Amino acid sequence: MSSPFQPTSPSNRVRIVVATSVMLTFISYWRAAAIVLNDLASSAFYACGIAEQAVGKSAPWFIVAVMLFSFAVRAVYVESCSMFVRGGVYRVVKEALGGTLAKLSVSALMFDYILTGPISGVSAGQYIVGLINEAFITADVHGWIPRAVHNLFNGTPQLNVNATSVVFALAVTIYYWWENTKGIQESSEKALRVMQITTVMVVILLAWSALTLYKSGYQRVPLPTPDNLHFSKESLGFLRHSFPEQSLAKMFGLLGILIAFGHSVLAMSGEESLAQVNRELAHPKLKNLKRAAIVIAIYSFVFTGLSALLSVMLIPDAVRVPVYKDNLISGLAMYMWGPQILRLIFRGFVVVVGFLILSGAVNTAIIGSNGVLNRVSEDGVLADWFRFPHRKYGTSHRIINLIVVLQILTILASRGDVYVLGEAYAFGVIWSFTFNSLSMLVLRFKYKGERGWKVPPNFTIAGIEMPIGLISVFFVLLSTALVNLATKSVATVAGVSFSVVFFVIFTVSEHVNRKKHALAKEQMKDHFQLLQSDTVDRDSLGIRPGNVLVPVRDYNTLNHLRWVLEHSESREQDVVVMTARISQFGSAAYGLSSEQIFSDYEQTLFTRAVSVAESVGKKISLLVVPARDAWSAIAQTAHNLDSSAVACGLSSKMTTAEQAFALGSAWEAIPEPKRQFVLQIVQPDGIVDTFRIGPHTPTMKNEDVVLLHRLWLNITREPGLENVHHHDILTEALTRFAHDYGARDREDIVKELRRHGAVGEPLPVRRIADQIHTVQPGAPRPDPDAGNRDDGPPNPKGGGSE
Amino acid sequence: MGLKIVTVLVRFLEGMFVVGAIGSFVVLVLSGIEDLKMLLGREEEENHS
Repeated sequence: MSSPFQPTSPSNRVRIVVATSVMLTFISYWRAAAIVLNDLASSAFYACGIAEQAVGKSAPWFIVAVMLFSFAVRAVYVESCSMFVRGGVYRVVKEALGGTLAKLSVSALMFDYILTGPISGVSAGQYIVGLINEAFITADVHGWIPRAVHNLFNGTPQLNVNATSVVFALAVTIYYWWENTKGIQESSEKALRVMQITTVMVVILLAWSALTLYKSGYQRVPLPTPDNLHFSKESLGFLRHSFPEQSLAKMFGLLGILIAFGHSVLAMSGEESLAQVNRELAHPKLKNLKRAAIVIAIYSFVFTGLSALLSVMLIPDAVRVPVYKDNLISGLAMYMWGPQILRLIFRGFVVVVGFLILSGAVNTAIIGSNGVLNRVSEDGVLADWFRFPHRKYGTSHRIINLIVVLQILTILASRGDVYVLGEAYAFGVIWSFTFNSLSMLVLRFKYKGERGWKVPPNFTIAGIEMPIGLISVFFVLLSTALVNLATKSVATVAGVSFSVVFFVIFTVSEHVNRKKHALAKEQMKDHFQLLQSDTVDRDSLGIRPGNVLVPVRDYNTLNHLRWVLEHSESREQDVVVMTARISQFGSAAYGLSSEQIFSDYEQTLFTRAVSVAESVGKKISLLVVPARDAWSAIAQTAHNLDSSAVACGLSSKMTTAEQAFALGSAWEAIPEPKRQFVLQIVQPDGIVDTFRIGPHTPTMKNEDVVLLHRLWLNITREPGLENVHHHDILTEALTRFAHDYGARDREDIVKELRRHGAVGEPLPVRRIADQIHTVQPGAPRPDPDAGNRDDGPPNPKGGGSE
Repeated sequence: MGLKIVTVLVRFLEGMFVVGAIGSFVVLVLSGIEDLKMLLGREEEENHS
């Protein structure tokens, strides 16, 4: 056996195919819109409250203006996504302005992402604590609070709103830290459900508000003119030292409007998510992207824009800012027309929806930051150390830890003040948009290739196309970003410091990585032949159909690879060792570029895999597949490679049945036509559990076979039925069952199956992948013609797949 | 002198904002018409430039 680092001749180098396309399961535009809205619509819960504290009672008009402007910003994102399917700020800025500005823009984007968590968590806390305190007041009015409790609090019990919100935000952040460390699956289904519930709330809110306007009247929202702007000291930032605050708006009339607009831009935070879901949109991509963008634009305009206007129209001035500034939609619920109990119930509903959408945004923030940092790490601008997978769960836990520590520090530093968080948050939002639009503008002149769509209008003057629309959007974003630098002192200091620190980390990491990877590349040259392939297929790997796919992740647990190699005949069957590089939500927006560096970890993993193969004396093919989800990657790769078997190790967090179910579900998501295969799970003690993935002849219990045979005996005695076969009886029985299930007896059948499921093995596993039987280590190889007996990788000519 | 420079800078920013806002409104209208056509199914094929 040769040592992994002995020089090897070029012809003996092991070929590694790195797939450059992320394996994704595609989603409809409704689901894509739901994912984006989970982030974007969450700002409706706090944006207007923050804006009104900064600029006064005319704030809702600025929120409406920002929501209208967001239609134009969205157009810029649609153009960038039509150019780069793997769009997003980092990719676009890198293409247009180079690596340095790309690192700077990613630093601003990270500031945006990191702050999304704290602001959403604290805001959710404000809504919940607001409701609890309101419930205490109502209970006290009715005399339901015991006297002892009353005395303890010297009156009505009230929680400290900011402190309790901090505790709540910390709890939610820590919860999602743990979920992400374990490897939570981003579900578009969950996002869709949350948006459906939110839509119910929005419809009730708008309808009830209309009734209230009709029954109780409303107060006027002052027009957004300089005279109606009332800036607080905080909202003038550095300018408060230079100008008398009240005359500023009059001195520079339009500047006042611009300052107010800048204080409202956080209402459109979350647009970047559109670029991130683009890769996962189903065909036709551009059309679906546009549809998703329309849904997002209209929804966010109606929800965020109208709820902002209604809150000022319906909530009296005396309580709107003093009491409800941080939970404005709750305040709106409390000032509807109708009985108090109904208003309280609706407020409870608002809080539940707020909790769902805002805590979801905390999760999105962690996933998005993790995705972006993973992406820049893959590009060599963050040390490989950060990407080292968790020993048990395989997630990039060091990046997750870094993000969550920064978020926790932000929550503690904010002391539960949503206004401070919102002001800072706007820095990341506006600068990442500005970088993106500038890059798209530069690319109009730099990149002459095909575009799916262009932001209108465009005029050609003297043969040069003038992108009037793009220039306009860039002008608004740049002027707002520059004014915000002066008026948002907290955001400027925090945002610039954060961005500079991240920029320095990226630059130093890149420098260190360049040296380190030069050495690693030399070693790689000796041992591996790195090939990049856009798609995963047999030709790129040079393998035959009926191969065995062996997914690997932890280089300490390669027993299953050894087992496969010992039980397979390499002359007949190829063995492909595959590792899935998980690109979570966020980094799925970016593909792996040609200059991407093969990570230290993957090199070690494959070096160990090659050592195992050498020790057995067999050849293996190596494959790296980027994917959003490991199970989808395995199922799709097995499908693309025409594998007859997949051999896995035992998961540290799932049972063998659960692993089979996960792979079976991923297989179900692959479009037809698709090939069935066998899943073998090799446990550390050498026991192998075998499952068939896809439709197959079920393993029948002995009593079922006896029953079938008795029925056959009886039926063939009937006149004219002498030639009936066993399978005819099964066909008749299944047809009747399907008819009953589809019609009258569905409930009974479901109840009965549930009862069986409760006493037998879990039904979902039975439905998708039936366990055949367990073999002991060292059992003899099966006869290829024996069909269902499995104690080694199925032979391509044998009964591996039915 | 200082106030004059500040005034010029502020006017420049204001001008940029106003021009941008008008242009963005045009973007909103034109892309809105295009979206409407797409939703009504009148778009024959996607606009490839």
